[in-house]
Amino acid sequence: MSKDVVMKPVESKSTGKTIKKGILGVIINAILIIFSASCIFPLVWMLYSSLKEKRVFNADIIGLPTNPTIENYRKILSNKDFNILSTMWNSLRTTVISVILIVLIAFIVGYILARIDFALNKPLYVMFLMGMLIPIHSLMVPIYIIFSKTNLSNHWFTLLFPYVAFALPMSIFLVQGYVKGIPVELEEAAAIDGSSFSKTMFGIILPVCKPILVTVAIINVFSCWNEFSFALILLKDRLLYTVPLGLKQFTGQFNADYPKIMAAMLLTMSPVVVFYFAFSKQIIKGMVAGAVKG
Amino acid sequence: MLKSIKPKKWVIAAYLFIPVALYIFTVFAPLVAALFYSFFDWKGGPTKTFSGIANYIALFHDAEFWASFRHNIFLVVACIIGQIGIAFIMVMLVNSKLAKAKGIHRTFGFFPSTISAVCIGYIWMMIYDYNKGLLNWFLDAIGKGDAKKVWLNEPGLIMLLVAIPLIWQFIGYYMVILLSAVSSISTEVLESAEIDGATGFQRARYIVLPLVKNTILVCITLCIAGNMKAFDNIYVMTKGGPGYSSMVMAMYGYKVSFEQSNLGYGSCISVGIFVLSLAVIGGSQALLKYLTTDKYDRDEQKRLNQIEKERRQAVKVRKKGGALNV
Repeated sequence: MSKDVVMKPVESKSTGKTIKKGILGVIINAILIIFSASCIFPLVWMLYSSLKEKRVFNADIIGLPTNPTIENYRKILSNKDFNILSTMWNSLRTTVISVILIVLIAFIVGYILARIDFALNKPLYVMFLMGMLIPIHSLMVPIYIIFSKTNLSNHWFTLLFPYVAFALPMSIFLVQGYVKGIPVELEEAAAIDGSSFSKTMFGIILPVCKPILVTVAIINVFSCWNEFSFALILLKDRLLYTVPLGLKQFTGQFNADYPKIMAAMLLTMSPVVVFYFAFSKQIIKGMVAGAVKG
Repeated sequence: MLKSIKPKKWVIAAYLFIPVALYIFTVFAPLVAALFYSFFDWKGGPTKTFSGIANYIALFHDAEFWASFRHNIFLVVACIIGQIGIAFIMVMLVNSKLAKAKGIHRTFGFFPSTISAVCIGYIWMMIYDYNKGLLNWFLDAIGKGDAKKVWLNEPGLIMLLVAIPLIWQFIGYYMVILLSAVSSISTEVLESAEIDGATGFQRARYIVLPLVKNTILVCITLCIAGNMKAFDNIYVMTKGGPGYSSMVMAMYGYKVSFEQSNLGYGSCISVGIFVLSLAVIGGSQALLKYLTTDKYDRDEQKRLNQIEKERRQAVKVRKKGGALNV
């Protein structure tokens, strides 16, 4: 009897609390869902709108397509002026080569700066570190001047220069910091076994550094694929255009045809989107590590 | 440093030569070139005439350039408040025990920051479009059709309109960075605060915020550096227009150099961008450092510096004295 009396208020209090908590939970989740939806909505909107004809889209911009068609995609892929596949190929080539070079160079330089004692060690480290402070966009005009004077602009390899060089400071910094955390005994043991410098570097340290090199690669895959301003000033030949440049040209040509523009954007985004959703966990981890340490 | 392995000097030189040369050629040579050409009157042709500091005087009085600088600053402030502010709120929500499907929010929220600024620009152009834009469609749908505008033609609103895509794109980015910092706070601290009766807001303000202070500083620095170089979005959406009402520094430099092919003055603008960006980044760093340390810490630091200085002086005097004695 007395037990019941004691129990009752506690019970009602806790149900009140759970109701309050439940409402709070609904609000919190609702806000989060709205946020996530707003981030993913443009992709979804473009996805189904690209399946509409221009006429249908103009009549109703938000509705689902009543009779979906892949006509837009077919027209884009057969378009003579805007060869989307060639821009994608250009972007892919530039990105892959740049990322490989960035990872390789950042590893070599980062390792040497972290481990080898020589006169220029400190000055070189400071020089690369300073690169992180340099506002890259102040280089647009002078890089154009220098590259056109030395005939380096407007080649398939042109963009490798800025993409690799601009990525080096942060990448070297990340690798250098990582190598410093590796115990020196590893290399000393290798030296005693008669392993040469290069063999130690590539055979023993490289595998140990794999996590940080993956991070470096991830950060730069996105920045190279998406880069626009230096491609804009350094490439004149349409055949060399990377994806962002191609899109710019394409939207100029199909000014008002939104479904076609959407289809083109989706096509050019597709490699990155697939890559992102396939490895999102590692990608997010890598980008965060890069941002916080850099 | 490694003592047991001493590779030969030429081995190191061979490894470092190409990276260093590439780096100097692509980063430092243009800086020097910009400085050099900024003293010339040069329209891109074969002739250029030395004009002393005329370009710099022109730059100093160039209202458009300073307006672009102000627009950059506007973007910085808008993005710090919008991106990091909203991101922090989102972090508190995601981190609450009641939130479900945290991984999905993280994956979806981060997604826009992996898309190129060009695509983001075009997506938002479609949203702002007069006839087929989502914004006007929405205004019609809620019965506010008379508020419809040709959005990107509104000089008064344009900076806000170009800031929104930037903010939207990177909320998730900063959310994920902050999330990683918040998740390293031990749950015991938060739980004991909860038991003591701290509300969600109090926990955010007095426990989480001070503990992730350094990460927020990193975010602010990233935000400043990112917005001083704003270019891609602006180029795609407005090209600085209408008129000069959404011009930013990089866009202005581009316009002067390539559309008016005034490369001498363009180089001078580049030097201006370089100096101003460094000044803003450096100044904000100093300011943040000042604001985030409280008075006690500053006094303490001053005292320590004073002691260190006296110690150094004492050492110097002793050394001198020693030298004299010998």
